[in-house]
Amino acid sequence: MHRVRISLIHAAITAMLTLGATAILTSIAYASSVLAFIGLGLVFWGAILLYIRPEEYTKKVLLDAALSPSLTTLNEMIQEFAYKGDAIYLPPKYFAHPGTTKIYVSKRKDASLPTPEEIQKLQNQPVARTTQGLLLTPPGIHMARLLEKSLGTSFIVMDLENLQQKLPKCFIENLEIAENLEIQAENNRTGRKTDGTTSPLLMKNTTVHAKITKPIYENKSKETKDSRQSNALIGCPISSAIAIAITRAAGKPVRITDLKNSEDGNILEASYEIIEG
Amino acid sequence: MNFPLSFWDTSLLLAVTAIILLITSELVSPYYGKTNLIINKKRLRNIALAVSILFLITVAIRIFDIITSA
Repeated sequence: MHRVRISLIHAAITAMLTLGATAILTSIAYASSVLAFIGLGLVFWGAILLYIRPEEYTKKVLLDAALSPSLTTLNEMIQEFAYKGDAIYLPPKYFAHPGTTKIYVSKRKDASLPTPEEIQKLQNQPVARTTQGLLLTPPGIHMARLLEKSLGTSFIVMDLENLQQKLPKCFIENLEIAENLEIQAENNRTGRKTDGTTSPLLMKNTTVHAKITKPIYENKSKETKDSRQSNALIGCPISSAIAIAITRAAGKPVRITDLKNSEDGNILEASYEIIEG
Repeated sequence: MNFPLSFWDTSLLLAVTAIILLITSELVSPYYGKTNLIINKKRLRNIALAVSILFLITVAIRIFDIITSA
């Protein structure tokens, strides 16, 4: 037997609108200003409730439970294939389609970044994997698109300064992803050098720090040491979305250098490095 | 069979509603961390502003009325 589910808020809205309309009609018939006030008030608040009624929400625990396995699989896959390099978020200039952003994980730790032509060749393969590197879709790609949709513009047309101003509003007010977001960019004049190599990964870089307070998604990967190490490479959907935003705005490859979760899970701190090519 | 409320009664109703909505909108703003209320806060803010503007229009009409009748 089909069970009809009556939502409390819908029942309240219907009751308010019906009673309000009845009160207004009665007030006209009996010329009662009190009834008119009551009627107008009920209709007005009923209409407001109807307009501001909750959007479709899901419980936070469900979100955490649904996201964790796919992130774990991604990390396990990288570990299984023994890709030791950093996860580099590649800007759209590396791809044929301008809206594309992907993660490149190199096989060796200090390998240099491939050229856009090599990446496009790799992208066209059924499994975007070679002995040199692996191409992955970032976990925050859809969140980044949602942020762009909410901002009404693409990150590509923004610069880093613009991003620092607009992204917190989008995070806090528009999508309510977190209670607060602080983004700070700083230029590092000294680059890291080993063995005298001229790898692009080791040149002087710009660092971006993001502090996310009370994010909707709590990174559970801190439970085990291994998963934490892997997750620091790619990031959770929120930190990944910020990485995509930075790489698109800067037009340069970006890597997540640090990802810290507070003990209570209320503060997520991520550091990003813009790799100067 | 006339509607018993005058234009100024409606103006008063709009003023009271606007104050309530503006205060509520400010209190549930995500910037203050009161994000537990599951309503569309952007729409609430928009409607609060719309009602406030409607009230201000009635005030403008009142002022225009006073100026022209003098």
